[in-house]
Amino acid sequence: MEKVLNLARANSLWPMTFGLACCAIEMMSTAMSRFDLDRFGAGVFRGTPRQADLMIVTGTVTKKMAPVLVTLYEQMPSPKWVIAMGNCAISGGPFVFEGQYNVIEGVDLLVPVDVYVPGCPPRPEGLLEGFLKLEEKITGKRSFPGPENRW
Amino acid sequence: MEQIVNMIGWEALKMIIGLVGVLVFVVLNALILTWAERKVAGHMQRRIGPKEVGPYGLIQPIADALKLLGKEILTPRAVDRPLYFLAPIIIFVPVLVSFIVIPFDASLLVKDINVGILLILAFSSLSVLSILMAGWGSNNKYALIGAIRSVAQNIAYEIPLLLALLPVIMMVNSFSLKSIVEAQKGLWFVFYQPLAFCIYFVAGVAETNRTPFDLPEAESELVAGYHTEYSGMRFALFFLAEYTNIFIVSAIAVTFFLGGYQGPFLPGIVWFLLKSYLLVFVIMWLRWTYPRVRFDQLLNISWKALIPLAFINLLITGGLLKL
Amino acid sequence: MVEKIKTELGAALKEIPIGESDYRERGYHLFAEVASSDLLNVARFFDERGFYLAALICVDYLEYLELVYIFSNHVSLCKVKVALKIEPARPVAPTISTIFDCACWYEREIREFFGVTFEGHPNMTYLFLHEGIDYYPLRKGQIPVSDEDKKSLGSFRPEGGEDTFCVNLGPQHPSTHGVLRVVLKMDGEYIEEAEPVLGYLHRMHEKMAENRGYLQFLPNTGRMDYLGAMSFNLGYVTAVERLCGIAVPDRANYVRVIATELNRLSSHLMWLGAYLADLGALTPFLFVFDDREQINDILEPVTGSRLTYCYFRFGGLYNDVDEAFIAGTKAFIERMKGRFSLYEKLVTGNVIFINRTRGIGVIAKERARKQAVSGPVLRATGIAMDMRKTEPCAAYGEMDFDVPVGTRGDALDMYHVRVKEMENAVKIIEQALAGLPEGPIMTEKVPKKLKPPKGDLYHTVETPRGELGIYIVSDESDTPYRMKWRVPSFSNLMVFPELAKGNLLADAVAILGSLDLVIPEIDR
Repeated sequence: MEKVLNLARANSLWPMTFGLACCAIEMMSTAMSRFDLDRFGAGVFRGTPRQADLMIVTGTVTKKMAPVLVTLYEQMPSPKWVIAMGNCAISGGPFVFEGQYNVIEGVDLLVPVDVYVPGCPPRPEGLLEGFLKLEEKITGKRSFPGPENRW
Repeated sequence: MEQIVNMIGWEALKMIIGLVGVLVFVVLNALILTWAERKVAGHMQRRIGPKEVGPYGLIQPIADALKLLGKEILTPRAVDRPLYFLAPIIIFVPVLVSFIVIPFDASLLVKDINVGILLILAFSSLSVLSILMAGWGSNNKYALIGAIRSVAQNIAYEIPLLLALLPVIMMVNSFSLKSIVEAQKGLWFVFYQPLAFCIYFVAGVAETNRTPFDLPEAESELVAGYHTEYSGMRFALFFLAEYTNIFIVSAIAVTFFLGGYQGPFLPGIVWFLLKSYLLVFVIMWLRWTYPRVRFDQLLNISWKALIPLAFINLLITGGLLKL
Repeated sequence: MVEKIKTELGAALKEIPIGESDYRERGYHLFAEVASSDLLNVARFFDERGFYLAALICVDYLEYLELVYIFSNHVSLCKVKVALKIEPARPVAPTISTIFDCACWYEREIREFFGVTFEGHPNMTYLFLHEGIDYYPLRKGQIPVSDEDKKSLGSFRPEGGEDTFCVNLGPQHPSTHGVLRVVLKMDGEYIEEAEPVLGYLHRMHEKMAENRGYLQFLPNTGRMDYLGAMSFNLGYVTAVERLCGIAVPDRANYVRVIATELNRLSSHLMWLGAYLADLGALTPFLFVFDDREQINDILEPVTGSRLTYCYFRFGGLYNDVDEAFIAGTKAFIERMKGRFSLYEKLVTGNVIFINRTRGIGVIAKERARKQAVSGPVLRATGIAMDMRKTEPCAAYGEMDFDVPVGTRGDALDMYHVRVKEMENAVKIIEQALAGLPEGPIMTEKVPKKLKPPKGDLYHTVETPRGELGIYIVSDESDTPYRMKWRVPSFSNLMVFPELAKGNLLADAVAILGSLDLVIPEIDR
């Protein structure tokens, strides 16, 4: 029974719109006509955290934004997942320098992250691959052919 | 079987079977409509909708439903408990009651009540109550604003709805939906009453809170309107009620104006479903084409445009019938 | 014009010498150094003559702090720099927000970054930073925030009244603006007060500029305004070239124009899609992204990125355009002309759209000048000012295009101005493609570590959002001493609170959308 539920959850992930910075535009591109995200069932971007089960953190998280992010994460009902998209969400990105005072170096200091998608900004195909990795993490096997290992 | 019939009577048994059938139909309809909405949206936006989940994405709504069932049932701390819990249940009552009187075919009707349309209109006001309960009970400013907008909108658009249906009722001299369909054997009423059809359609779209009248759940302004604080199964109930309402509005339009289940060659129920789903497709088409109307413009359309037109139509019909 | 202002200013301020500077090197025509007591008179002088406050900058030279006011003009090109020196131990200056409204937020920003107190300022609370930052970020050396500053800066608490309640619009909301939070005090559906709270994406670009070399800072410019990244690149690169006196070959100039105009098209298309999504029509958003993907297909093989471009280098470009680029651009332009008619049919004639935008958010010309509004927002009010015409950089001087102007200043006019700008962009690209010269794309002998001569420069460029001003102070080392970015969205956002007052919530969203804001450039 758990397997069927997991399969259903993996195929119907509803993301929450949490676009912070430049990566948000690439996330929107992924949901658009060319790299359609609706194909995988993740089409409906809900605005409220109560109805979403995936939070894609796209962009730099600053200290002012951090409490907001944690509040939204806790408002999501479980089971919930987080994708950290872009270098800024993974580890602060290009904005980490000595003496910096406002950027949180990686969103995994605040919430548990399931999939990391690197890039500045990552290509939409990269985000799609992140989605499929998340599906693999939920169901245990990957249903879409992956990139061929060439080396 | 004999014993059950002797215990409760034949009529009651028919009612129970009918209600079970209605429930099954409601669930099936919601599944089909969620899939159809995403596919229609996709194709209008030059992309394909859900495709990976089953052939042509047909299993997508089942995956959605299972996922929503498996969600944690979360109750925010500061909500008004009785209102918050009852709202999604109450929104279902008018939906189910409306299905009792809609004729799917000459004999496929749960009960042919002689005040059929009055029953439907009376119960549809109940959905306004449940939206208000949802908005107020959520203890959330966005939900409250959404609920208040919805109340004003629904109350304003019930009047043209009723006024647009009155000429047909006057022509047939009966409130029962079955007799209205039977009276269209000659020519469908849409040719007699084109203006009433348009007014009814616009008012019906406004009653179901769909774009261009979807202010109560305006996504870019109020995060999700009156169902902001609902998650999991409760949200699924709101969703279900909205899609079933769309079907009911189209079904009533088909019954009153487009001949109901009448049509050559194919069995009645197939015609009925075909016509209803055609109107449902038009409603979805409207959603993905037009932007949202602002709140005061919405009320202006109802009070200044639709109601006078409906009154004029009623007067003309009454006058013509007298002669 | 410059002579007239010089004589009049000299007559008004008798003791202060007015210097003339070489416009090509410094970016301003006249400069004057005033004392605190004269500042208000100078501000009134410029206000009476129709100038606007383009930028208010603070620079920390360790022995003193210098406040730089740049006054500029809509009608003819005349820039005046007024400098005010204040002592670093207790920095105090008079406020000019009573005369120029835009100074209100400029001064708030300087207060929290430098610690300068402005006497008479109405609202000195945190704009970008938050409680917990214990020293003034942009001062050289760690100067701690004094306790009275902490108290007055952190005292913004939104509260409702008896009949009103406070609603947050953001920081996370389903429209595509980014992390902007506006605290609305509402009376039912009508807005009484709107107070934007910024700083949710403050990424310390100006502080980073002081720690990085000129070339190392180039990627940052693309991230500041990710929708119009080429124009920010262009502004920065031409500013540094102007400071160092580097000449750029013609072919590079033409390619820069083509790339910047393609980006302008892309940015306006994105605005169109996002604005309609705000209003509720979700389908044009997808058509718009289709066009943007076509532009990305052309630019990506040449520049290497899809969104945050970093294509220009000091002295030219780093990669030449090839036949595929030229052929692709020509095909795209043909296609785009057909798409304009599609958008006409879908959007421009749509009754609901016109009703939602006509008469909403009307900006008067006088308010536009006092709030230092720029870009399509300014042109919609009726003032025809385009930096590409008044101060052309790259090859804009050789292009032939007109400046679209609106009449009423409402959201519908802004829509029409931007659509005409898109058509202009197509025209400019055609002309640039037709006149593309052969030749090198990079000047010879540009040092890897640029060391510009000592001095300062105020350089402006027209981005899709308005006037971008870059003020660089160089002290002959390979990192800038101070780099200040005067971004158009910051000034455009200042108009929003007065426009939103008394309107419905739905209208406020429509107004915010029509201003075309990009939050990372506001927060820098």
